[in-house]
Amino acid sequence: MNLYTIVFEDNSVFEGGTIETTLWMKIPNKKIRSIFYNIPLGDCIVLSGYNSYYHFVETTVDLSGENKGQVQVEYTYLLGKKENQYKVYKINIKTGQIEIKIIDNNDNFIKQLNPHGWK
Amino acid sequence: MATLMNFLINYVDSDVTYVTTPADYITLNLVNDYLIWTAGDTTVKDLMTHEPSESELNNAATIIDDINAVTVGLCLLMDYSHNVGGSYYTHKVKGMGENKRYVYCFRFDGATAMIPRLEAWDTSAHTTSAKHVLGAGTPANSFVKAIKTTSGLPGDSWVGTAIAGIANYIELDSAALTIAKDLYANIKIVIPGNYATPAAEAFVLTVRYTYL
Repeated sequence: MNLYTIVFEDNSVFEGGTIETTLWMKIPNKKIRSIFYNIPLGDCIVLSGYNSYYHFVETTVDLSGENKGQVQVEYTYLLGKKENQYKVYKINIKTGQIEIKIIDNNDNFIKQLNPHGWK
Repeated sequence: MATLMNFLINYVDSDVTYVTTPADYITLNLVNDYLIWTAGDTTVKDLMTHEPSESELNNAATIIDDINAVTVGLCLLMDYSHNVGGSYYTHKVKGMGENKRYVYCFRFDGATAMIPRLEAWDTSAHTTSAKHVLGAGTPANSFVKAIKTTSGLPGDSWVGTAIAGIANYIELDSAALTIAKDLYANIKIVIPGNYATPAAEAFVLTVRYTYL
């Protein structure tokens, strides 16, 4: 199953990749109508009506210890931006728990984001 | 593709970057290689011809001082493949704890969404930081000090940030990476004077990063 499916305003569709290869930077530069985001443990988040969207994967690599050298995916993040507000879905890949928060563009989390990732 | 990270140590001249002088660096095979923090002695040292045993490491342990804090004097790369510069298992990390910039290198092969971090944990579960070396539950007291050197020298007698757990970490750059980039840090272990609990504790150094 694809990680996400994007439906654009012109009704065309883009199928996302996997957690390892998300294809997020390959998304065509068109206005997005909706994102259907498949949570690895089964549910689906639908984001629609936002001005722009962002997705990224958070990983860890241990330099020592029993799992050293392994890339461990810990969270994925899905964001929707409307005006100066951002809705953030933080998805724990191991437990399936989803933390949702709404922040504004003064939040350091938003300020730190690579600006090239907004779609 | 996901952005990948390689971890390297400088074993020759910590005034030169990987880009200018790649031969001065060793890329760790993280599955087999590891870092040894030790006082060192005539056995546990640079350019060992065998992997140090537990008893040899215990004999070369750092001694807690009655009064003054002690910086662990030596960081060795234990190179399992022992195929760099001869058949040597250990290589001294040059510039560790000193006013040196290009000591530990984190090579990212692509962009990130946020600034990569260096953290320290009890285990690979990344849930606790209760070991003595990590401050025994008080992250600000962690013995493990780290400082970003990507953009400059750390300074004479640098103090660094005590890293432990999710809240006490260092960022390895000043912004998310928009392209592949080498980031640098210096790391040292400082044991407080008259610390009451001697121990041999293995902790987990972790790089947390993101990709798009």
